[in-house]
Amino acid sequence: MSERTTARGVPVDGGLPGWRRAVGGGAFALFWGWLVVRWIHDWFIVPNPAGDRTPFVPVGPFDAANEVLLSLADSLGVLGVPFDWLAGVFAFAAGAIPSLPALAQGAWLTVVLTVVSIALGFVLAVPLSVARVYGGLGLRWVALSFTELIRGTPLLAQLFVLYYGTNLTVFIRNVPGVGMGMVPDQAVWVAIIGFTINSAAYQAEYIRSALTSVHSGQLTAARAIGLGKVEGIRYVVLPQALRYAIPGWSNELIYLIKYSSLATFITVGELFNQTESIANDTYRYTELFVTAGLFYLALVLSASLVMNSVEDWTAIPGIGQSGER
Amino acid sequence: MSDLLRVDDVHKSYGDEEVLKGISFEMDRGDVDVLVGPSGSGKSTMLRCINRLTEIDSGEIYLDGENVTTPDTDVNALRRNVGMVFQDFNLFAHLTARKNVTLGLRKVKGLDKAEAREIADAQLERVGLLAQAESYPAELSGGQKQRVGIARALAMDPKLLLFDEPTSALDPELVGEVVEVMADLASEGMTMLVVSHEMGFVRSAATDMFVLDDGKIVERGAPTDLFENPEHERTKSFLQGLNSAHGGDG
Repeated sequence: MSERTTARGVPVDGGLPGWRRAVGGGAFALFWGWLVVRWIHDWFIVPNPAGDRTPFVPVGPFDAANEVLLSLADSLGVLGVPFDWLAGVFAFAAGAIPSLPALAQGAWLTVVLTVVSIALGFVLAVPLSVARVYGGLGLRWVALSFTELIRGTPLLAQLFVLYYGTNLTVFIRNVPGVGMGMVPDQAVWVAIIGFTINSAAYQAEYIRSALTSVHSGQLTAARAIGLGKVEGIRYVVLPQALRYAIPGWSNELIYLIKYSSLATFITVGELFNQTESIANDTYRYTELFVTAGLFYLALVLSASLVMNSVEDWTAIPGIGQSGER
Repeated sequence: MSDLLRVDDVHKSYGDEEVLKGISFEMDRGDVDVLVGPSGSGKSTMLRCINRLTEIDSGEIYLDGENVTTPDTDVNALRRNVGMVFQDFNLFAHLTARKNVTLGLRKVKGLDKAEAREIADAQLERVGLLAQAESYPAELSGGQKQRVGIARALAMDPKLLLFDEPTSALDPELVGEVVEVMADLASEGMTMLVVSHEMGFVRSAATDMFVLDDGKIVERGAPTDLFENPEHERTKSFLQGLNSAHGGDG
């Protein structure tokens, strides 16, 4: 690989070697291509909200292959063990394939929960972290109390309080349009609110520590040319701090993808919820949860890839990890 | 009251320690005055009180006849008129040299992009760094960083420029380029108050030299007078120390 650099001339490590990059890229293209086609197909081409969606890949050939391999394995005695395993793979596929359309629908909600909550959480986290570092005593105390309360209690408890313990659920249910057509129902909105609040607290911690790692002379210099304190933070400190925060922040994104599975407990039909309900109906626990695990893995790896790119795009010589020389 | 800057009996304490014990001096337009003195004598604190990065305890400071130490002074407006150059440069690390200079023009003075860029490029050219306009601070040498720092302060078109030990964080071979820029500014009539032990600059460019010791100005005068006939014992020993440290210096 020739040495790559970002738009601002920061060298980027070469990444994976060519063939692994090709295989990885192919797998991502396959996963996301299938997922997006599945979504479009199920919402617009053959809308069928009641369920019972046909997988794109028929189960028959996998069953047949399983049968053939099993009988082959039988006839070969001890030598047939590898064929026995291979038969298991086809049996696994045959067991998993019928659930894929439902898992794709679940994955949609998982993506929505994660992306919307991390984005809204970020909007809250920036002022929270700035209040922690630069606020007066009162503001600092409020921000600290919020983050410690949220980080110190279980996310599931927070979701239950929001969903069962407040009027939020009823309030959202009565908002016109909620639960109609493409608009998700009240449980999804409550989950988004819960994840947003929770994620804001964690994100605020990552950004706070990044803020304190920006040299104090930066704000002094900003003040010295006549910028106010808030402007100095806005134009000088935050642009640097947010770059420092990217690696830690990426962690929070990855956590949230997986924590979003807790929404199942307040009846949100996300990926984990779909998996569990099908598994309970079919008793195919292994097939379902391994497949769901692969879905989460693909989502997490995608998030990592995106964040690596974000880090490269925003890299500036002398700032953050990739800028170190 | 034609002084550009008048500092009148300024006191400042940090906790129990009084750092400035009644400092008074004044500067005319075009003056280049240098504060010297042992470390801890209050030189940098004095500078930072003038643009109110540090708040004074008592006394008054007048810029262009206006008391800038009242509670209702607009500090941001004051700082537009008083530029500052820092010991450790403090260039905005995420911005190119050009954007370091344009930030204040855009966000403080509200100029549009083209105007700001024009001024920035003129100032970068003045310090000999137009070719580095697109470089980030991490890509510049210490001397180049400090020259960008000077361009950034100049771009705001200040009435007074404060230099807080502008060359003491530099490798010796990079001091010259910064001193040269400062000497050019001095000869162009910029009013400058400089904390520096760079005796080459003091001799060639300074109007007056103030010797600070223990929070007071113990002696002031033209550099040649002070170098040749220091009256105060502290001045003598301080200048001797400097001369031996700088290998004779001229």
